[in-house]
This record gives sequence, structure tokens and C-alpha cells, in this order.
Amino acid sequence: MDLFYQTFQLTLSLAFSATFILLILGLPIAYLLSRTQSGWKPLLEALISLPLVLPPTVLGFYLLLALSPNSMLGGFLAEQLGIKLIFSFEGLIAGSVIYSLPFMVQPIQSGFENLPGNLAEASYVLGKSKLTTLFKVLIPNIKPSIITAIVLSFAHTIGEFGVILMIGGNIPGETRVASIAIYDEVEAMNYAIANRYALVLIVFSFLILLLVYTFNKKYFRIKGR
Amino acid sequence: MPGINSVVGYCLLLLFLLSIAACKQKDAIGQQGTLHVAVAANVQFAMQEIEQLFESETGIPVESIISSSGKLTAQIMEGAPFDIFLSADMKYGNTLYDKKMAIHPPLVYAYGALVAWTVKEDKDLKNLSKLLTDAREIDKIAIANPVNAPYGKQAINFFEKLGILDQVASRLVYGESIAQTNQYIHTGATDIGFTAKSVVLSPEMSGKGRWITLDPMLYEPIAQGVVITRHGEEKQSEASLRFIDFLFSDPVRNIFRKYGYEVPDSKPVLPY
Repeated sequence: MDLFYQTFQLTLSLAFSATFILLILGLPIAYLLSRTQSGWKPLLEALISLPLVLPPTVLGFYLLLALSPNSMLGGFLAEQLGIKLIFSFEGLIAGSVIYSLPFMVQPIQSGFENLPGNLAEASYVLGKSKLTTLFKVLIPNIKPSIITAIVLSFAHTIGEFGVILMIGGNIPGETRVASIAIYDEVEAMNYAIANRYALVLIVFSFLILLLVYTFNKKYFRIKGR
Repeated sequence: MPGINSVVGYCLLLLFLLSIAACKQKDAIGQQGTLHVAVAANVQFAMQEIEQLFESETGIPVESIISSSGKLTAQIMEGAPFDIFLSADMKYGNTLYDKKMAIHPPLVYAYGALVAWTVKEDKDLKNLSKLLTDAREIDKIAIANPVNAPYGKQAINFFEKLGILDQVASRLVYGESIAQTNQYIHTGATDIGFTAKSVVLSPEMSGKGRWITLDPMLYEPIAQGVVITRHGEEKQSEASLRFIDFLFSDPVRNIFRKYGYEVPDSKPVLPY
């Protein structure tokens, strides 16, 4: 049973850490993408959306190749910085951030793009800086988009399997998250334990989604009158 | 107004659906005599040759489905249309027999050997025990998941016999199957790993890195069993039996030997 809790604790800390990093990373990316007129925009957008298309195990396999101590990137990280990103919790966070990036960026970006242009203009005319406008005017107005992005990224990380399977190495307490545990127990024909993991995962995810949609609905009702 | 475009679009869609239906039908005819063999990942290389030989001798087409034994077992239990199952050990075949999804207890067709394999140039495989316990030499060690995969279980057994399990335990990483363990070793993600001898002898992997066969006194060679499934007996009774018979013939035994397996001394009694 210890293993059971350990697995869920690990799954949750992975999801929280990855979502937090994604928010810090995704917000500026989404903002810049929504503002830019540059010809590079489609290229960047395509790049960020790539994880949506690639099968997760394929993405995981290339991450394994890229982060292996044999490769240039992996070797550099290990030798110069002492960071090992395969078979470690930190590596799972890195993998999850790449894998879930479109889920964070896309909703926020479309939130920004759907704001009426004169909102920011009014703020600028009143003498507010770009940064103040962003944090005091724009972001508060796209709260539902941000919440959606956070929830999608969080849920996507909880349900992540292929990437973790490839770069995790199934180490209990380090990289053995719930989705891997379920898979393992099915492989070992321990269907009862697998069911228990799956049930907890489903109930938990459902509750989170329910909470968010309830909250979002209330929010819209107040705003939309 | 429903323009000409939507009419053309509708026709195209119809054509598309019809062509799918046509393909399906062709498939169904083509597959009527095909024998579906579920194959554990470590046997896939030997199976390629066995399959060709069987097809050329009997004219019965064979389709192999390669996966881990655990997954294949779960699929067969849920009625997957596989006629024969070559498992990586005896446990899965026995489970299927207990659940009446296989029509006989598994027959040993080969004994698998375990090797230590590395793609790093500077590792001294001659003194394996010393190498493995030296954390400066070897960081991560890949083995297949010991709970599910017999090759992983025997790797643990090997560490125990050498008395080094405590020293290596924290540096082990687990592939979900022998196939993923191979990836970890082959890509250099781990410094060393333990896998089936059939893998390092396969054409795909031969010459990649260096390996050493483990002393068979220090683990139990892995008895691998084959069963005819209930589906096989019902749908492909004759062809299935012929395949099993063929599996124990001299040419096939030689193929198994070529891939590093030991083969049983005598041919078992066929299930029917």
C-alpha cells in the first residue's frame, strides 16, 4: 500500500511541477505569439504544436536519444552541469514540459487574440506601460483561458504515458508514476491492483475537471451577466 | 444552395467508403488460411526465419504479432484472434491454460540465455562483478522489469548469486520489456544492461557494442513455452498443430541454436 501512495504522490508532484513551469514558460510565449506580426510566427506555432501530432512513445524515444549521456546535449548536461535528465524525476518534468507545451500555449494565445484590440490601446493611452497593461488589464481578462490551459496541462501530465515509459526507467519513488504502474500491473496480470490505480486516477481527474468547469461557468455568468 | 462542390464532395466520400469496404473484403479472403502467431519480443529475430521456412515448406501464410508476453496474454484472455503463442516463459502459458484459453499446458521450445551488453568502449566485461559494483565505472544498469519479464527476474537472480544486489539495486533502471531494455542499452542511455542472447546475436544488433554470456550456474536459463490457444484449435486446428510439430523439427532447433538458445533434448508429445 505504501507503494500505492508513493506512486500517486509522485504523479501529483510531477503534474504540479510541470504545470507550474509550463505556466511560467507558456504565458510569455503565448503573449508574444499573439502580438507578433513576424513571418516566423507560423514556424514557431508549428513547432510548439508538434507534440500534439507525434506519438508520445516516438517523442520519448527521441528524448531518450537526445538526453542520453552518449549524445551531445546529454553529455554536455551531465559533464558540464552535472544534470542527468534520463531515469530521473527532473527528466520527467523536462519531458512533460515539452509534451504538454501546446496545451498551455494554445488556450492562452487564443485568449489574448480574442481580446478586443482597444483594451490594450486604452491602457496605453492612459499612460500605462506594456508590462502593467499585460498584468493588470490583459491577463485578468483572459482568466478562463488561463485556467483552461492550466487544467489541460495538468490533466495531460497526469495521463502522460509514452514519454515517461521511454525516458523514466520505471524506478519506484523516482519515475514510476500512476500510468506506468497501471500498465505494469496489467502486464503482471495483477488486474485488481491495476483497477484500483485506474479508479483513483479517474475519480481524481473527474473531480478536478468538475471543479474547474463549475468555477468557469460561475465566472462567465458573473462576467457575461 | 447545395453547390456542385458538395455533390462532388459527397461522391468522393462515397467512393472512399466503398474502397474501404472493398479492401476489407479482399483482406478477409486473403487471411482465411493465415496462421496468427503471438510472439514474445525476445523470440522475434528467430521467428523471422522460422516463419519463412514454415511458409516455404507448408504454403501456410504466417502472421506474427510481436509484443511482451504479459500484453499478449492479456489480449488472448480477452479473445484476441491468435492461434499460437510463443511466450518468454512458462508462467503466461500456464495462466492461459488455467483460464481455458489455451488447450494444453505450455511446451518448452527453447531455453533462453542471459547476456551482459554494453556499447561503451572502455568497460571490462571479463570481471563483471567488479565492474558492476564500481559506481564510478557503471552508473545505470538496465534490466527488464523483474516482476513481468523473466529475463529481468533472472538478472536479479544473477546479482543475488554474485552477492552484489545491494550494491547495484539503486542504480537499476527497468525496461517494460526486453525490447525497451535493449533500447536503453543500445542507445547508450545506460552504461550496461542485461538482455537475451538472441538479441545480441540478431542481424540487427550484431556488431553493436560488446557482450558476454553469463555463467549458466549463476541464474536459471529461461524455459520458454508455446501453447495453442482455444482460438487456434477452433479456427486453425490443423495448421496450428503443424506449426507446433514444425517448431520441434531439426531445422528449427538449429535456428534457435543460432540465436543463442538451448533447445530441449527430445520432442514433446503433441497436444492432439
